[in-house]
Amino acid sequence: MRYIFACIIQTDPYQSSQPVTIDSSSIWHHMSDALYQSLYRVLSLLIAILPGILAFFIALVVFTVLGMMLSALLRRGLAWAKFDDRLTRYQVSTEWTPSHSPTELVARASFWGCLLLGLIIGVSAFDASYATGTTLPISLLPYLTHAVGAILLLVAGNLIARFLARTVLIGAVNAQLQYARFLALGVKWLVLVVTAAMILDHLQIGGNVVELAFGILFGGIVLTLALAVGLGSRDLVSRSLESHAERSSERSVMPPPAGSTGTGEKLRHF
Amino acid sequence: MATANPISDVTPPPVPSGVELLVLAASMPPDQLETVLSRLSEVLPTDRLLIAAPDLPAPEAYPALRMIASPATKSSWTLTASDYVNAAELARKNHAHAILMLGPESSSLSATALQHLARTVSTTGTDLANPLYQLSPNAGLVNSAILYPLTRALFAQRVRFPLAIDHALSLRMAERLGAVGQRYSGLNQGDAIIWPVNEAAFTGYAIQEVEVGPRVIPQPIEFDLNAILALVAGSLFADIDAKAAFWQRARTLPSARTPAQQQRPSETAADIAPMLDSFRLAYTNLREIWSLVLPPNSLLGLKRLSTTDATTFRMPDNLWARIVFDFLLAYRLRTINRGHLLGALTPLYLAWVASHINITASGTDPERHIEEVAAAFEADKPYLVSRWRWPDRFNP
Repeated sequence: MRYIFACIIQTDPYQSSQPVTIDSSSIWHHMSDALYQSLYRVLSLLIAILPGILAFFIALVVFTVLGMMLSALLRRGLAWAKFDDRLTRYQVSTEWTPSHSPTELVARASFWGCLLLGLIIGVSAFDASYATGTTLPISLLPYLTHAVGAILLLVAGNLIARFLARTVLIGAVNAQLQYARFLALGVKWLVLVVTAAMILDHLQIGGNVVELAFGILFGGIVLTLALAVGLGSRDLVSRSLESHAERSSERSVMPPPAGSTGTGEKLRHF
Repeated sequence: MATANPISDVTPPPVPSGVELLVLAASMPPDQLETVLSRLSEVLPTDRLLIAAPDLPAPEAYPALRMIASPATKSSWTLTASDYVNAAELARKNHAHAILMLGPESSSLSATALQHLARTVSTTGTDLANPLYQLSPNAGLVNSAILYPLTRALFAQRVRFPLAIDHALSLRMAERLGAVGQRYSGLNQGDAIIWPVNEAAFTGYAIQEVEVGPRVIPQPIEFDLNAILALVAGSLFADIDAKAAFWQRARTLPSARTPAQQQRPSETAADIAPMLDSFRLAYTNLREIWSLVLPPNSLLGLKRLSTTDATTFRMPDNLWARIVFDFLLAYRLRTINRGHLLGALTPLYLAWVASHINITASGTDPERHIEEVAAAFEADKPYLVSRWRWPDRFNP
């Protein structure tokens, strides 16, 4: 059988038929060689990056413990120094102060700061061992940094979307707009769409397709809203502008309207 | 604007050592200021009187009065931190024994009222004389709904108008309020509202309420109920938060005064339909936000109210008291953003106003209803104290 194959594949028919034999065991030998070599490469890679993985976990654990110790020290030290009382004595505006006490905030910030530092050091160690353990010119650290940035964008976008939606909802309800909930939902989804586009752009996913799709979608929404407001509520907008112009022409404290103490139904809340 | 003539043939009265009464008048039209000056001249001894105002008339018009220019402050519908800072500085500079602060539209106060205010501080040893205005039933509703009940329940003061725009102060009271106002002015918040009654109660100074009769109350220029309610309520909540250690202790409320027979102008009942519509719309849309602040009992009460007919719409006094206390707690705990919290209070306040109008339209005396509301706040004070000390972040 092998002889027949050899004759079939003989290229030059005018050559004297020389018997060509192929050893089938060599195919299996080459295949097994290839497999062994690839297995060897992968295992070598794993062995090469194992120290990096170990360094990552050790760095994370060490800095977590350091962070906990630092946080406890700061908490005790600031409580002893009455940091909260000193701060609130001179603090008048309470609009943007944190919900927890300043001492707690400093302690937590120090803990998370140490944890983040440990994470960065661990990833850097892992990245170094990964880069030396492979011939591929891929570095893991920049991509992880982008991923962390994308997560932060997602969190910030969600918070901003919820805050703006609630602000619009309360404002619209107090303005007695019947479609307050829809308005709030629209604002929320607009912000979320913008956030999603920013994340995809940050991760370099989709490229121009994402940019174009977002531009068309967002532009379409804004154009639709502008047409709806401009065409659908022309009278309301013009009345609102007229009343605003009348109010802005008064430059002193307004006295109460005449006759309101006698026969008027006007409520005065202040 | 009138300016003092540097070369005048009218000899000003000799400057006494110290001034018995410093009158600090707010910026007002010249005719109103002249009315005030005339009335002060009638009832108070002019030799120990000092008038301070941003825009003074010519000295020849009032040769017996000593007048000085006060720093001009931003025109406001209420007294602000800057006003108290100016009052304290002028009082200190001129060694005044008492200060009479008059807000805009004070020409509507009678001469007798001005005299009573001034004499209360200068003769009885009172540190803060707060006016008791005679207003129409449909005026001062925020004061009736929130400011007076909270001040009475927490600071144990029967002062009907805690955010009055006229005061008579002793020198030490003026210095105390000036120091408080200085903190705000230093942070470029000269328009902040200060609560003199709370400060006086906190410091242990004597407070007395003086009946002054009718007065024209100026209104804010840009009247946005949502914004102004948030400003006033937020300021009061912040002040209560800062003085928590004081009001949590049990205090005795002064005995009720016997009010003089006041002829209140009768008014036709206001239309409550827009307020009820606003409340029902808010119940539909803001229920989730209210559920973060209010307990299930209060939400159930609001649910019942949202289905109540306009003619029988009545908000129970204890429900309103609990709502205000829960919003105060949420303000302190920052359960939600404070701007959102105070914005969500507006529809509930309008519901109370609608209920109050219904109750007074049925024949109940408005003052009697307001006193019942204040009594409900007093009765529920233990609820506030217990939740303040052990904040439970309930999640119904």
